[in-house]
Amino acid sequence: MLKMTHLSKVYRTEVVETYALRDFNIDVKEGEFVAVTGPSGSGKTTFLTIAGLLETFTGGTYHLDNLDVSNLDDNARSKIRNEKIGFIFQAFNLIPDLNVFDNVEVPLRYRGMKAPERKERIMGALERVGLASRAKHYPAELSGGQQQRVAIARALAGSPRLLLADEPTGNLDTQMARGVMELLEEIHRDGATIVMVTHDPELAARAQRNVHIIDGQVVDLAEDPRFHTAYAAAAGQVRG
Amino acid sequence: MDIQPILAALRRHKAGTILIALQIALTLAIVCNALFIIHQRLSRMNEPSGVDEANIFVIQNLWGEQYSTQEALERIQEDLAALRQVPGVQDVTPSNQYPFKGGGWDNLITLKPDQRTETTDASYFAGDEHFLGALGEKLIAGRDFRPDEVQSRGLREKMNPSVAIVSKPLADKLYPHGDALGKSFYAMTSAPVTIVGIVDVLQRSDVGTWSVPYAGESMVVPIRMAMPWGGYYIVRTKPGQLTAAMRAAPKALYAENRMRMIDSKDGVLSFAEVRHRAFERDRGMAILMSIICAVLLAITAAGIVGLTSFWVGQRRRQIGVRRALGATHRDILSYFMTENLLISLAGVALGVLLTFGLNLWLVTRFTLSVLPLTYVLGGIVILLLLGQGAVFAPALRASRVPPIEATRPA
Repeated sequence: MLKMTHLSKVYRTEVVETYALRDFNIDVKEGEFVAVTGPSGSGKTTFLTIAGLLETFTGGTYHLDNLDVSNLDDNARSKIRNEKIGFIFQAFNLIPDLNVFDNVEVPLRYRGMKAPERKERIMGALERVGLASRAKHYPAELSGGQQQRVAIARALAGSPRLLLADEPTGNLDTQMARGVMELLEEIHRDGATIVMVTHDPELAARAQRNVHIIDGQVVDLAEDPRFHTAYAAAAGQVRG
Repeated sequence: MDIQPILAALRRHKAGTILIALQIALTLAIVCNALFIIHQRLSRMNEPSGVDEANIFVIQNLWGEQYSTQEALERIQEDLAALRQVPGVQDVTPSNQYPFKGGGWDNLITLKPDQRTETTDASYFAGDEHFLGALGEKLIAGRDFRPDEVQSRGLREKMNPSVAIVSKPLADKLYPHGDALGKSFYAMTSAPVTIVGIVDVLQRSDVGTWSVPYAGESMVVPIRMAMPWGGYYIVRTKPGQLTAAMRAAPKALYAENRMRMIDSKDGVLSFAEVRHRAFERDRGMAILMSIICAVLLAITAAGIVGLTSFWVGQRRRQIGVRRALGATHRDILSYFMTENLLISLAGVALGVLLTFGLNLWLVTRFTLSVLPLTYVLGGIVILLLLGQGAVFAPALRASRVPPIEATRPA
């Protein structure tokens, strides 16, 4: 489903080159629920933005759903984002000027879907996240957990092949976070492929497989001593 | 582009939306009416006078002393003889006024002697049998004055002309079926005045807006008028001789009789200068209104650019989210263009009402004509294009917001 081989991402300024990802390799199979963990600045978010075609990469190859996306133009990348990928952001990223229904509708409109089908999908997605009765509410009228559920409904409505979640519970309290996590697990059980970036070892533990990134590379935890330090620090932060 | 979500978003930004729509409405109302006034003024400036403009000049002659009627008539005859001797002069006539002079003589016209309300108003030219020739006017019907018809009159003597040559607009106003020749009218006279000739165009002396309803309505009566203080000579030259004759004419008059004053600046005017001076206020008004229109349009465009730029800045993250969810550059560009179009449409809808309201007020208060629909349609097109043009740059900036913006902290 998602395969990156020797992928690199370099940020260049006049004086310095910074490798956000270096010789990065990952292979996520269809139907997998993968948690990507790692300390701050390790390259987790860079990996997710490249995986979601939100930005380009410098070297290597990336196949998404068996399609080489290395050299696609902006319009083709927009189309793939719209049709194959569902995003769940840490900050929910709902559009404050639109109500719940219209927010979920945004990606479907860009797909050029007819109104009756859009409505059916929107209501189906909202029912799935338990917010069908809030369709006419605006984001500001919802709790953080409810907003994240709307964001999940928005991601689900388009039936994406891949769901990318960036710290989906990062802005939520424990109870709301648990609800969102259960929802993601339920979506996974229904067959979705999910890649979730998280700081939270507890959340990561609930995923099917964990991938750990340190200094822009996927590392094998058992063999890399850097992980033990970083993991201990991250775990300490969560407990603290 | 679906407009429902754009309308939904606009409802959440009422203040900015209403302000811009109101600005567009006011601009439409003012620009449409101003353009109409400008067009009317420019049309008047370009109206044909009916005279041979390229070869005519006018002399304003003031005597050094007040003459009796008889003395004035004699002086006039001497002056006319002197002017006819000037090289290049083709014809000359004395007159109480000339087309586009500004102000001047006019008479209320009736079709019956006891009529209480006038049928119309005509500019009143007094001239001799040389009048038409000196102005280069061509008859389209009837005949010129015969020398024996020309009367000599002092300023305060009763003038009872029995015949007149009229302009076609006056003839048509009095006799709309085109049968004015040989018919008569009353020009504040007890005896009827018979129409013996019709010229196509002879513009009025007055150019004020009050005379717009009587545009082009003029009459010429065969009277050689002796005004005690002086008067006008209308001189027509042979082609190409105007400048030389204009220089020579006052010298010839001074040589004939030094007891007179011909102003060195305003005493001898080419007809081109007469026309230029007649419409100086119209030209000034047209320029002023053009500037007002340009400034208004610029302010409206700046308002649109400002508001859209502000909205683009404010919604940068939102645009990033839309891009992340699949919007292309074109989708974002078209979102902002459509948003502006909707605001502009609301603005012009209100603006149409304001435009006609303002026109109604101008019509009742300043005798302006009713605004033709084409001006409103033209104004709508201008405002919509202005809006689309103004919003394009900020919309293009918005379309370039990368999808990665969705992941940046708020």
